[in-house]
Amino acid sequence: MSAVQLSRRDQILIHCAPFREERVDDRALRTALHHARKSEALAVQQNFDKAAAALVQAIPIPPEITEWVPSETFIAPARPAWKKYAQNPVFLATGIAAGVIAVILIFQLIDRLNRFPGEPTARRLLTTAASTHSVILDPVKTNAGALGDYFFMKHRLAHYDVPSEFADLKTLGLRVFDDEEGQRVAQVWAVEKKMQFFLFPAERDQKTGAAKHFNGWRYIDQERWTGAVREEGGVCFMAAVRGSQKDLAPYVSKKRE
Amino acid sequence: MLADAAKAQEIFHATLRDAAQLAANSEAPRDRLWFFRNARWRCLEAGEQGLQAEDVDLEQDELAVSAPSQIEKLEPQQLAIWISGAPDPQRTALALFYLDEFSYRDLLSVTELKPQELSKLLCNGRRQFQAWLDAVVPVTQP
Repeated sequence: MSAVQLSRRDQILIHCAPFREERVDDRALRTALHHARKSEALAVQQNFDKAAAALVQAIPIPPEITEWVPSETFIAPARPAWKKYAQNPVFLATGIAAGVIAVILIFQLIDRLNRFPGEPTARRLLTTAASTHSVILDPVKTNAGALGDYFFMKHRLAHYDVPSEFADLKTLGLRVFDDEEGQRVAQVWAVEKKMQFFLFPAERDQKTGAAKHFNGWRYIDQERWTGAVREEGGVCFMAAVRGSQKDLAPYVSKKRE
Repeated sequence: MLADAAKAQEIFHATLRDAAQLAANSEAPRDRLWFFRNARWRCLEAGEQGLQAEDVDLEQDELAVSAPSQIEKLEPQQLAIWISGAPDPQRTALALFYLDEFSYRDLLSVTELKPQELSKLLCNGRRQFQAWLDAVVPVTQP
C-alpha cells in the first residue's frame, strides 16, 4: 500500500464508493476507484463498509415482513429502451435530421447513378421536342432505319443511325440544325405516338477529344416528356415521347439483330 | 432507520398498500426504487413524531484497520440503534448505503442527495461510527 494523492473530486466520489464492484455504475466513480486502487485509505474504508454491511445483513427480518415481499406485479413493466429514446426530443430531432440527410443522400446517389455523358444536351433537346411542330420539318416519309444513309449522303453526318429498336417506325419529317453549342443535331418526327428522334454528337473529353461512351439505354424525363438515350460510334440517339418511361420501354426492350 | 420493528412493519405494509392501489389504477410504480423512496418518507414522518436526535457535533475518529474486528463484536441491533439515532439526511444515507441494495446512482436517486452531500454524510458517518466503536468496543492491546 502507498499514499496516493487524489484530486478533491476523486476524494468526494471515493467516500460514496460502494464496496461491491457490481454496484459501481458511474464512469467518474469507476475512474476515481482506479486512481485510488493502491491507496491504503480505500482499503480500510472498504473493509470497514463490508463489516458494517455484514452486520446490517444480520439484522433479523420479522417473518411477517418476509411473507409480504411484494411481487413484481406491483412494478410497471419496463418500457422498451427504443421507446424511451424515441420519446426523448433530442434523440427524436437527431433521428429526423439523420433520416432527412439519408434520404437526400439516397436521392443524390440515385441521381448520380442515372447521369450519363451528354445528358445536358439530351435535356435541352427534350425541351426542343416539346416545342417543335411538324410543319417546321422537311417531309420525309420512310422507315427510320433508312435515315442513316440519308444523313450521311445529304448532310455528311456519319454514324447518325437510328438504332434497330426504332428502325421499323415510319417517319413524317426531319430536319438538321445546329444547337446552341454549334453541334449538328438531326431531329426526326415519327408517326407512332408522335415520337421524335434526336441524333447528336456524344459528349467528348475536353483533353483528348475522344467521345465518352456509355452502355445501354438511359432514361431522362422533363416536363412530362421522357427520353431514352443510347450512344454508339460517338453519336447519341434519343427517342423522345410525351409520356412516361412506360411508353418507351416496349421499344427499348426489343432485341433486334 | 427507525430501530423499531413494529413501526418498520407498519411502514412496510403501508408502502405495499400504496403500491397495490397504484397498480390497481394502472399506475404501478416504474421501478423498485419507488418502494424505498416511499418507505423512506414514511420513516421520516414516523421519526418526527418520536424523540428527535440532538444536533450535536459527534466525536470523529480516523477509520482504523482494526474496525472490522470491532464491528464483529457488535450486536446488529446496536448498529440499528446507532444509525436510527443519526439526524437526517445522514441517517438515510447511512441506512441505505449499508443496506447494500443500491448502486451509486440508485443511492443518489433514493436519498435525493448530491454527490458532495452524500460523500460528506458518509465520510462523517463512518468517522463518528468509528469514534463510537472505539468507545463501545475498545481495541484490546495484544
